[in-house]
This record gives sequence, structure tokens and C-alpha cells, in this order.
Amino acid sequence: MKKRANILTENIIFIVLNLAFLTILFLFVFSKMGAAAVLEEKYAKQIALILDAAEPNMKIELDISDAIEKKEKKFPEGGIVTIYKNIVTVKLRDKGGYSYSYFNNVDVKVNLGKNKIGQNILYLNINEKINK
Amino acid sequence: MNKKATDKIISVYWFAVLFLVAAAVVYMVAIFYGEPFDIRKIEADILVNQVVDCIAEGGYLNSQIYKEGNFSINNENFLEICNLNFELEDFGDWQGQGQYYVELNITNLASNNIFLGPIKVGNFHLKDNCGGSKNFPQCRDRSFYSLSKEGDKQIKYQINILASVRKTEKNMG
Repeated sequence: MKKRANILTENIIFIVLNLAFLTILFLFVFSKMGAAAVLEEKYAKQIALILDAAEPNMKIELDISDAIEKKEKKFPEGGIVTIYKNIVTVKLRDKGGYSYSYFNNVDVKVNLGKNKIGQNILYLNINEKINK
Repeated sequence: MNKKATDKIISVYWFAVLFLVAAAVVYMVAIFYGEPFDIRKIEADILVNQVVDCIAEGGYLNSQIYKEGNFSINNENFLEICNLNFELEDFGDWQGQGQYYVELNITNLASNNIFLGPIKVGNFHLKDNCGGSKNFPQCRDRSFYSLSKEGDKQIKYQINILASVRKTEKNMG
């Protein structure tokens, strides 16, 4: 009877350790996938490519809900995506941020809002540049 | 060796294997997410498309740049006419180098003479390194045909565009 109990305890410890190990591994992979630095780079480059291919009078909507979730709590939502001259900057942290330039000479207005189903949407209004 | 001792040895090996697998996964994830996203080929593609849209419209040379046998486009006004801006962010020595290059020439197919160009804008050194590995500038070379109306005649042209994007530091680890 004692031997059987011993075997059961060993097996349970073995299984629990394996599960803990795998959980830590998956948590590591998922944390890397959604890291703020990765999202900053992803969105800066994505927005730069969108603007490169855009034409005046276009209105573009981009879902950035995952970036909003990952931003630092005190970091203002208005400062997440900024466009100055022809450089897109995405910042989710005070000490961080990623900038990427685009070559299409257009004027861009950026607004952040929510759509009907509550997703955080970045609205990009593309206009012709007045002072070329 | 009794069965219990054998089981313990197997579990030690099992954990050794698990740690090896974990180390491999961590290494691969670090390599994958440590590398920046490489978007230079897409950028070069879009750049070529923008130039194509600037030069031709509906199969004919754009009337804004070509009138009565004369092109109003040259090296100096190319960026302005084609609505392009090659200014860059302050990163390393990018601003001194230039990270874009566009070359355009238009050939009259009847006479086989270069009709316009080559117009060269941006950092022309990038052209020399086209076709190299990922550490080199990424380039796109495209040709297409277009027409122009001159009276009752239609003149055929071949248009060659080369676009090159460097930005290696931000697209390669």
C-alpha cells in the first residue's frame, strides 16, 4: 500500500513539474509576441507602408486595440501615434518608441477613437500637402 | 538495477530533454522577435508604383509631365512633381547618406533612342549594391509601355524604373 502511494506522489510531482515547465515556456513565447517594443515597430512600419501607398482624400482605419492594451497605464492615448513631417512615431512607453519614415508627400491627420463594437481605431485622414 | 531506480534515471533524462527543448525554443523566439521586420522590398515596390502613377495614366503619358513632345520633368523637380519626399528620421548617418534611390528613363520604341533621362534622384550608390544579400539595399526594377498622342499619331515608349531602398539598420538585425 505504501509503495503504491509513493508511486502516485512521484507521478503527480512529475506531471505538475512538466505542466509548470510548459506553462512558463508558453508564457515566455506569448510575452515576446505581444511585447510593447515589437508592437511599436510593427505599427510604425505598418502605418508608414499604408501612408506610402495612400492617395489624397483617403480615410484609413486601423485597429490598434492590442497596442492600447499594452501601453503603459499613465501614458496618454493621444501620444501613441504621432506623425511629424514624414516620420511616423509609435510610442507605448515613456522610455521607448519607434520611428519610421515614409516617402509619400502627403498631409496626414491622426485621430484615435472607438468604433461601434468598441475596438480602438486609428483614423488616418490623407490630404494633399498644401505647402510642398 | 531495480525498477524504481530506472524510473528516476529516466525522469532525470526527461527533464534534461525538456530543458534542451526549452533552450531551443527560447533561442528561436529571441532570434525571431529580435530581428526587425524587413519591409524594404514592399517599400521599393510601392515606390515604383508611385513613380508609374506619376508618369503614366490610363496607358498614356501623363499630360501634366508631357506636353507637345516635351517633358517638364527633370532631376530637380522629379520629387515635387511625383509628390515624393525623401527626408529621413534622425538615425545614425542616414540623413547624410540618403536611403532611397530612383532611376527613370523613357525610350522611344520607334527610334530606340532614350527619349528622357536617365533621371536619377537620391543616393545613386545604392544602385551598385542591388541584387546582393539582405544586408544590401533592396531594389525593384520594372519596365512598362506607354503611349503619347501627337496629332493623329500614337508614339510608343518603353519606361524603365529602378527603385532602391536601403534602411538596412532598421530592417536587418
